[in-house]
Amino acid sequence: MGEKILIYHLRDVVKTRETEGAAFRLRVPSLQIALGEKIALIGESGCGKSTLLDMLAMILQPTEVGSFRFRPERGGAPMDISELWARRKYNRLGDLRKECIGYVMQTGGLLPYMNVRENMSLSRRLLGMPSDGTVEALARHLGIERHLNKLPGLLSAGERQRVAIGRALAHRPSIVIADEPTASLDPIAAERIMSLFIELVEELNITVIIASHAWRHIERLGLRRLSHQSQRLKDGTTESIVTG
Amino acid sequence: MRRIFNILRLATRDYLHEWQMSGCFVLALAAVLGPMMVLFGLKFGIVGSMLQDLVQDPRNREIHPVTSGHYKKAWLDQLSQRPDVAFAIPLTRSIAATIRLKSNSSPRILSVEMIPTAKGEPLFEPGAAVPVKIDEIVLSAEAARKLNVKVGDQVDGSLSRRFAGHKERVHLPLKVVGVARPRAFGRDGAFVTLAMAEAAEDFRDGHAVPDLGWKGDIIPDDVRTYPGFRLYASSIYDVSSLRDELAAQGLDVRTRSEDIDIVQRMDHNLTFVFWAIAVIGLFGFALSLGASLWANVDRKRRELSVLRLVGFRTGDIVWFPVIQSLYTAVLGWGLAALIYQGVASTINRMLGGQLANTQEVCRLLPDHYLIALGLTVGSAIFAAILAGLRSARIEPSEGLREI
Repeated sequence: MGEKILIYHLRDVVKTRETEGAAFRLRVPSLQIALGEKIALIGESGCGKSTLLDMLAMILQPTEVGSFRFRPERGGAPMDISELWARRKYNRLGDLRKECIGYVMQTGGLLPYMNVRENMSLSRRLLGMPSDGTVEALARHLGIERHLNKLPGLLSAGERQRVAIGRALAHRPSIVIADEPTASLDPIAAERIMSLFIELVEELNITVIIASHAWRHIERLGLRRLSHQSQRLKDGTTESIVTG
Repeated sequence: MRRIFNILRLATRDYLHEWQMSGCFVLALAAVLGPMMVLFGLKFGIVGSMLQDLVQDPRNREIHPVTSGHYKKAWLDQLSQRPDVAFAIPLTRSIAATIRLKSNSSPRILSVEMIPTAKGEPLFEPGAAVPVKIDEIVLSAEAARKLNVKVGDQVDGSLSRRFAGHKERVHLPLKVVGVARPRAFGRDGAFVTLAMAEAAEDFRDGHAVPDLGWKGDIIPDDVRTYPGFRLYASSIYDVSSLRDELAAQGLDVRTRSEDIDIVQRMDHNLTFVFWAIAVIGLFGFALSLGASLWANVDRKRRELSVLRLVGFRTGDIVWFPVIQSLYTAVLGWGLAALIYQGVASTINRMLGGQLANTQEVCRLLPDHYLIALGLTVGSAIFAAILAGLRSARIEPSEGLREI
């Protein structure tokens, strides 16, 4: 494999949020994620997992940045994401999301007016990729082949999450970010879908970051766990620190 | 191009998927726009055409001399050159201005009044035929009905006089070149050239009319004078100044200036009332359309955030509500037009018979439909762009996490 390529390289990234007087701060002194790595972000809900994931997915602007570099391809040069934010290059960020990132939300995120096949093909269509059976093969893998022509509203919660996973993978992104993808499911279904998910990203050689509140679930799947600690400061601010 | 096409496809699919919600928006729009169109139809139908007719009714522009006098043709020609005068023509003595008409298709012999006319006759419809040659006439509707003739028919005109102690009658074939509209002249009448009216007067006076081969005394050489004239101002607004000017020349005239004042005041007041209602209605219409579109974009914030998450650009996202509001605007307008058609035809059927004229009480021109469409689409796009920009401005992560 040779030299380790860092897909994410963050230093001193801070996001501050103020909601009804209670201030919250997420601090990332240093974070390095290599291409092909499988990362787990474990913590209670409300500790800033989604905040970090949204920053990594480039849909949330950091408050302060030391440096934020993104290198989605082995051959490419690292990109300065903080500069894109600062220079308001939102369309460039949108294009990066479209090409390089797949995102699985805790629930929802599917378009209710498109059937399963169209939902899964959404990013592929945006990128002008051909309908070459990729989506169908993926659906077969995920066990939702028979639902391809149904609207998401007719599916169970577990099936919808499978569709969401399928959509995040269908355009072969460099990285898939999943925010508690199985939290809304029963434990048995959750475990099965999580294993399937990890199996697929390994097979497709896609970097993955999964946030979860239960380590137990994913311990066996061979993920690297990010260090995460929360503390309450004297001024009442809750500070969360993530490193890894 | 692909991006726009993708957005168009998604927006259309969403609109169809939510057909119940979309239907409600269309109905809400039509419910406001439909009555607005009926209101405008009534304003245009009643205030517009009826008042316009009152204002343009030639009888309101007419100026009569009170007493008969000795008017010269040169003076009247001069008068008719003025920009505030639409039409001026001398009148011959009324006692001499009758003629008996007989047609082949009716047994009746009709005695009709002759009214001298010329090009630009204000009582006729614009562009209607006027007699040019001495043997051409335009019959009043009443006379044409009684004689049972139509345009192109020939009638026999005859004049009689007592000359040199015995009764004499001359006949003249006349060609009907037109039938005047009913309100031009209510009685039995024939619009003729001034030459014809003069010939009849000369004949009755015992003079010869060489052009028509009627014998008699030689006409004296002095300048002909007329006992009256027909004078029409260019518009009702010119009537009072013309009246004052003629009065200054020592000529007493009768006008309908008081009626005109009333009509003008009514026109003014009704126009104001209708504009007040229309402005309030338009304001409410724009507000209701804007509010519903704004609310719709707010409702869809999460879905729009999902689109941004998968990489749609901010500029593309704004198209989503714009396309949908365009559908609402066009469909709502179409429905409103249908509502209007139904209401307008009912109103016209119920009230149409009570009107003297055959015009419609409630009517809109194709232009008005287009204006309504333009206004609707314009305000819909404006509201959708505002709402779309607002939802595009929030960070996508914020919209995603909303419950």
